[in-house]
Amino acid sequence: MEIYVQLALSGLFVGGIYALISVGLTLVFGVLRVVNFAHGEYLTLAMFLTFFMYHLLGLDPFVASLVVVPILFVLGLVTERLLVRRTLEAPHVVQVFVTFALSLFLQNLFLVLFTSDFRAVRAEYATAAFEIGPFYISWLRMVAFAASIALTVALAVFLKYSYMGAAIRATAQDRRSARLVGINVDRIYALTFAIGCALVGAAGVLLAPLYPVNPYTGADLILVAFVAVVLGGMGSIAGATLAGLLIGVIESFSSYFLGGEMKQFVYFIVFIAILAFRPVGFFGRKGAEVMDVT
Amino acid sequence: MSERSTSNPAGAAPARMPHHAWSIAAFALLVSLPLLVSDPFVLNMVMMSLLSAAAALAWNLSGGYAGQLSLGHAAFYGIGAYTSTLLFLKAGISPLLGMLVGAAISAAAAIVLGMITLRLKGAFFVMSTLAFGAVIHISAINFRELTGGSSGLAIPLQPSVLNLTFANKAVYVYLALGLMAAYYAATLLIAGSKLGYSLVAFRENQDAARALGIRTLPIRIGIFALSAAMTSLCGTLHAQYFLYIDPDSVMSLSLSLNFALMAIVGGLGTAYGPIIGAAVVTCVSLAMQIYLGNQISGLTQLAYSAIVISVLLAMPGGLGPGLRDALSRRFGWRP
Repeated sequence: MEIYVQLALSGLFVGGIYALISVGLTLVFGVLRVVNFAHGEYLTLAMFLTFFMYHLLGLDPFVASLVVVPILFVLGLVTERLLVRRTLEAPHVVQVFVTFALSLFLQNLFLVLFTSDFRAVRAEYATAAFEIGPFYISWLRMVAFAASIALTVALAVFLKYSYMGAAIRATAQDRRSARLVGINVDRIYALTFAIGCALVGAAGVLLAPLYPVNPYTGADLILVAFVAVVLGGMGSIAGATLAGLLIGVIESFSSYFLGGEMKQFVYFIVFIAILAFRPVGFFGRKGAEVMDVT
Repeated sequence: MSERSTSNPAGAAPARMPHHAWSIAAFALLVSLPLLVSDPFVLNMVMMSLLSAAAALAWNLSGGYAGQLSLGHAAFYGIGAYTSTLLFLKAGISPLLGMLVGAAISAAAAIVLGMITLRLKGAFFVMSTLAFGAVIHISAINFRELTGGSSGLAIPLQPSVLNLTFANKAVYVYLALGLMAAYYAATLLIAGSKLGYSLVAFRENQDAARALGIRTLPIRIGIFALSAAMTSLCGTLHAQYFLYIDPDSVMSLSLSLNFALMAIVGGLGTAYGPIIGAAVVTCVSLAMQIYLGNQISGLTQLAYSAIVISVLLAMPGGLGPGLRDALSRRFGWRP
């Protein structure tokens, strides 16, 4: 019995970070209606930045976040302006393949700059842990989980209660009507994309002390986020959070019982099954994913 | 979107050199090329261009004409390569028969996948094919007893027509040329048929197509299966040319991406686009590998992805139609 609780706990902690990655992805899809296939590379970038700040400047990852997250926010603004905005009215094929090519571009840029070596932030508190009864809990993982959940809640509060948040929600619901009531939709797109990048940047900072990073780390982790986003319902923040946590737990159990090798296999089968049987996910808006076909 | 379709608008008199003449001239040039060139590097470049062009033409039938942007086609390529190779190695069955078995398996897999995923919209369909490609790739790595896992399978060099193995590499160039020519002809045939028009109608406006009474799902599944079978044959030819296959070289996501990008860069939904795209992408990639690749890893791919982004943003219709428009604007000449 104890092992199940332990597995569930460690799965939940990792799931918190998955949730944070997925929330950024789903927010961008909900508002811009673009799937950012390069989302994982922004995660990689944040992890690299955290690593270099730790090793070159001696900045603790939690301090580094004060620099890394704003950098990612600005990069999000730049990416939206230079690439994503130009694809919004373009044919579907351009939308998909521009972000896909961007992902390839960034991956290889990291490869050229940093080689494919794994780099790890070795903070001295990485292994610190405490025990509650029979359960063994890592401080770092618990703090990362708490920070992820806090950021997700902060985003939800921002969207729900601030003026800007209301404008973002309005744009997500109906971009033409939003423009009619005087919302600067282009600015909302830029802001939303930048928020998505900042969130994945925060996730990168939190992951850096837990996982070593190389140019392909983000591409591997983003698969989980795609499953979570579709499972939660594309565009739904509550859905992505819930699905992120759930997938953390599923992963923890499946790697214990099936072994890590089949982990990705399980993801993809789950993914195809969701798309086949319930493509709206938990809370997705009906009509966004399936067409009426004869 | 009229610039994407290959046929003339009804009633427009073709006051220029007809398509066929250009095709035949290009074909004749390609036929004579292996006889004129003996340099193995150039021959390999021609071979890879032709094989890629065939695969890109196959992808384009489903991805271009029907707008079904699959990123899982490497799975069909891999199924083709592995089926013919395994049948040959384990049961001594000729790859000539094995390639047909592979094509049948690929078509069957595409029908099942298509029934599940072809009702999904845009990005959802892309992601589902991505997942399918990954499942097949991971399976090939993990079922070691059958597939040899990551270390791959080698085909012994026993040259004979029945073994589809030849000592002279130029023979493969002709095989790939034949395959590409057949796929090009098939594309022209389909594009000019009711089926082709139905697919384009559906791609451009689903509701209007349905209102016209086009039953789209069966024909979309059909073209997906045909495209899968055609990709599968390319996979077998790949295996026979290299006499070695492993999951990363015949099933990886980057391969799927390449088929799609060649068609897109050349001109999506046109018959000649994938051929132009394959020639440009293959030659540029190989050339970059020689001049840049050995110094820093990743540089070739970096330049490649930058080129793709520029083409997508500057000429969303692809290089073929884009250059054609530029030529006709400038010189009033439409090749």
